[in-house]
Amino acid sequence: MRRSWVSIFTVYAPMLGVPVLLYLYIIFNAFHLGTASNAVLYLSMLGLAVFAIVGFRDVFIDRQKPRHFLDLKEAAGQTVHKTDMDTTTHEDAKIVEMRIKRFNPQSKLLEENTYRARVDRYSSVLDTIIDIKRKQDPTIAMRYSCRMGICGSCGMVVNGKPVLACETNVFKNMKEDASISVAPMQGHPLLKDLVTDFDDFFSRHASISPHLHRTDETEKYEAKKEYIQTKDELNKFLPFSYCIMCGLCVDACPVVNVNPMFIGPQALSQVQRYYADSRDQLGERRLDMVDKLTHVWDCEFAGACSVACPKGVDPAFTIQMLKTEIVRKNLTGK
Amino acid sequence: MEVLDYDTVILGSGLGGLTTAIHASLKGQKKIKIAVVTKLHAMRSHSVSAEGGISGVLYPEATNDSIELHAYDTVKGSDYLADQDAVEILANSAPDEIRFYDHIGVSWNRTDSGSIQQRPFGGMSIPRTAFAADKTGFFMMRALYDEVVGLGNVDIYHEHFVTSLFMDGKRFAGATAIDLATRAVKLFRAGTCVIATGGFSRVYGFTTTAHSSTGDGIALAYRAGLPLKDMEFVQFHPTALVPSGILITEAARGEGGYLKNNKGERFMEKYAKSKMELAPRDIVSRAIVTEIKQGNGYTHKESGMPYVHLDLTHLDAKLLDERLPMIKELSIKSINVDPHTEPLPIRPAAHFTMGGIHVNTHGQIMLDAKGVPAGGMWAVGECGCVSVHGSNRLGSNSLSQCSVWGRIAGNAIPEYIQKNPSSAGKDILKQAEAEEARINGLLENRGTVNPYELQSRLQKTMDDLVYVYRKTSELTAARDAIRELRGQYGDIYITDKGREFNSNLRDTLEIENLIDLAEVVVEGAIRRKESRGAHAMVEFPKRDDTNYLKHTIASRKDGGLGIDYIPVTLTRWEPEERVY
Repeated sequence: MRRSWVSIFTVYAPMLGVPVLLYLYIIFNAFHLGTASNAVLYLSMLGLAVFAIVGFRDVFIDRQKPRHFLDLKEAAGQTVHKTDMDTTTHEDAKIVEMRIKRFNPQSKLLEENTYRARVDRYSSVLDTIIDIKRKQDPTIAMRYSCRMGICGSCGMVVNGKPVLACETNVFKNMKEDASISVAPMQGHPLLKDLVTDFDDFFSRHASISPHLHRTDETEKYEAKKEYIQTKDELNKFLPFSYCIMCGLCVDACPVVNVNPMFIGPQALSQVQRYYADSRDQLGERRLDMVDKLTHVWDCEFAGACSVACPKGVDPAFTIQMLKTEIVRKNLTGK
Repeated sequence: MEVLDYDTVILGSGLGGLTTAIHASLKGQKKIKIAVVTKLHAMRSHSVSAEGGISGVLYPEATNDSIELHAYDTVKGSDYLADQDAVEILANSAPDEIRFYDHIGVSWNRTDSGSIQQRPFGGMSIPRTAFAADKTGFFMMRALYDEVVGLGNVDIYHEHFVTSLFMDGKRFAGATAIDLATRAVKLFRAGTCVIATGGFSRVYGFTTTAHSSTGDGIALAYRAGLPLKDMEFVQFHPTALVPSGILITEAARGEGGYLKNNKGERFMEKYAKSKMELAPRDIVSRAIVTEIKQGNGYTHKESGMPYVHLDLTHLDAKLLDERLPMIKELSIKSINVDPHTEPLPIRPAAHFTMGGIHVNTHGQIMLDAKGVPAGGMWAVGECGCVSVHGSNRLGSNSLSQCSVWGRIAGNAIPEYIQKNPSSAGKDILKQAEAEEARINGLLENRGTVNPYELQSRLQKTMDDLVYVYRKTSELTAARDAIRELRGQYGDIYITDKGREFNSNLRDTLEIENLIDLAEVVVEGAIRRKESRGAHAMVEFPKRDDTNYLKHTIASRKDGGLGIDYIPVTLTRWEPEERVY
């Protein structure tokens, strides 16, 4: 599900169209062209407004993408009060109530199911959901693989925060009523239950040319000697190369969630990762690549991405660094 | 049914799969059509979990190291079961692979002069393991994925679970895969195929590997009648965190960590006097299990697991942060222990499967024990047994293996396609439709058994009966249990009938693969009446070169399991006693 071309007309045309019409309205009034023309203008503005509203709705339906600011309708799901029959008890075990919001692809609603599971002080949210899936409800869908916070599969929203489920301890995150609420990331199109669609996310990442560019391609691939890189040069890009592509920053970003044209924090952080690498020879062409309204200049520095990032990449900081570099380049020409 | 035509399909997107894709693409001047089919998102394959590093002799003069020494260490580590011609290829090519990764962007740790830094590793006589902190596999995977994205002629099929391989006589013809997003069955038609689906350590419950390491490609090859090699050798990594099994890299000991029992002794001096903690993994694992059996271990309160301590508290805090940041992060996040101040509870866990699909030194899959290669089929990485690791792999040789044979296979593909145009396509569609019907039949099966219950019983059987030390009586009990599970697999019930992301169906198919592979492991182990490398039999504590200096070849014959043996290739190193 790629970003629809429809959104170009439905989001941007109205955004440009409304100021143009306002300008015309002022001109018309200034020249006293009469009420008939005004009526036409008012009507066409109303039409555009309707067009915009319908357009926005289209974007959402197209991407199956509920937004944070649009509270997704929730249906009453069933409550499953089953506890697994695990007999290995010990005094420190507790029962947790997992309230899992599951996206139903048929009804397009989020349905909350409640499960109870036995946990101990080592249990992660991921362990607990896998346990529930295996013993109580095999239809639960979520992604997981490495369970050690490095593959980036299990991003979800736990107690309202976008986190990796495998790194989230149950005991530490239990609410007072011994419950935990889990929901899918809503900054990506929903697919089923806790699973979201990453195609758009990956194509954004691919669009910023995320690889080392060398002027001499043969020399790049037929490596007989390593490139020399000092520790300082390494440290300039190292923090930004920790990105595991989990998508949590995009889920957290308030800008990309209202403006789907903004490329988002993950891709931009990776521009900085390659721009700062002393081995890369694309140089300032990387800056030209992102010196656009839809790239760095759409970032409003809310910083949510950096709070959400489980690997400390700090995308918000990288975007401001890119802005600084672009300004420096444009002002000094160097 | 959707039919997709490619020149080559690569199953799996780990280090092996992605390096193959890159080299096939470059060698074919970006003109051949390549599909990478993976059951995960391509950058999330289990290779990301590799921590310690990649071996290769980079600076022979400065470090007084040599290619021969690397090869010798590997052969000795393998307990002489490795094919020595293959080991020489590995040692010769590994340094170029490390430089290749440098050229595509891996953030290697550097020395003060800016060259690539190397660290000591178990069984390696000289520090020759290049590393990027303790996330080496992750950085390599990201670099490879980013490189593949820019190639243009490689299509990545994320989240497509391959269910069967089709052969046209002796030649590869195609494969079917379930698109997890829609549950649609698709047919990938191609003249060549590379299997790079990794190992199957998930036959064990206590394992360092990802939930997705289920050996799907090996099981597919086995069911397609292709032979498997040395499947009984499963590596147990000495230091897996209790209770989750999360890997604590060997580099923790390479950087100076100690193993201690409950008396506070560094017990490794009893087992490997000169190498201590840096003995090969099979020896350290046996030492830990022996200590625990002698009552020198601790018992974990919640899980009941016995363990010993990995002590890093005496290491310099700055060194720990610079070279082992992930270990610190993992132990704090998963068990709330800071390695700066407290020792880590560890015990051996299934980590790597030395066995796999029977391939020759070119990475080509063999049709039978005799050594006739199948047409247009390669297996690279953990799922292909070359064999360079023999009965015990040395740490950091696996990443070299993936890269070296990824390149060998990738370079061979374009020429093979040119010389042998694919003739596939006639009745393969019918076979694919039959496969689709089989999957739909599985969904409609009105059985009574929860597939996850089979999985947990299988894992418990393997954990209890086929662990570090093995006994014939326990192995036969395991075989009976596995056969019973296989019988019950016919009576499974898949609860999820939906089309979107039906992971219940995917898991069920994975469990079938695990059951098939576990049986081969146990059968091979029962028949090998000696102790060699990772295979330690209580009744036969000595290595037996007269009878067992040979590879086990297992293949499906007439619905049953047939075992054959082939000789080990020796070139320069005669088997001798293995002392560290």
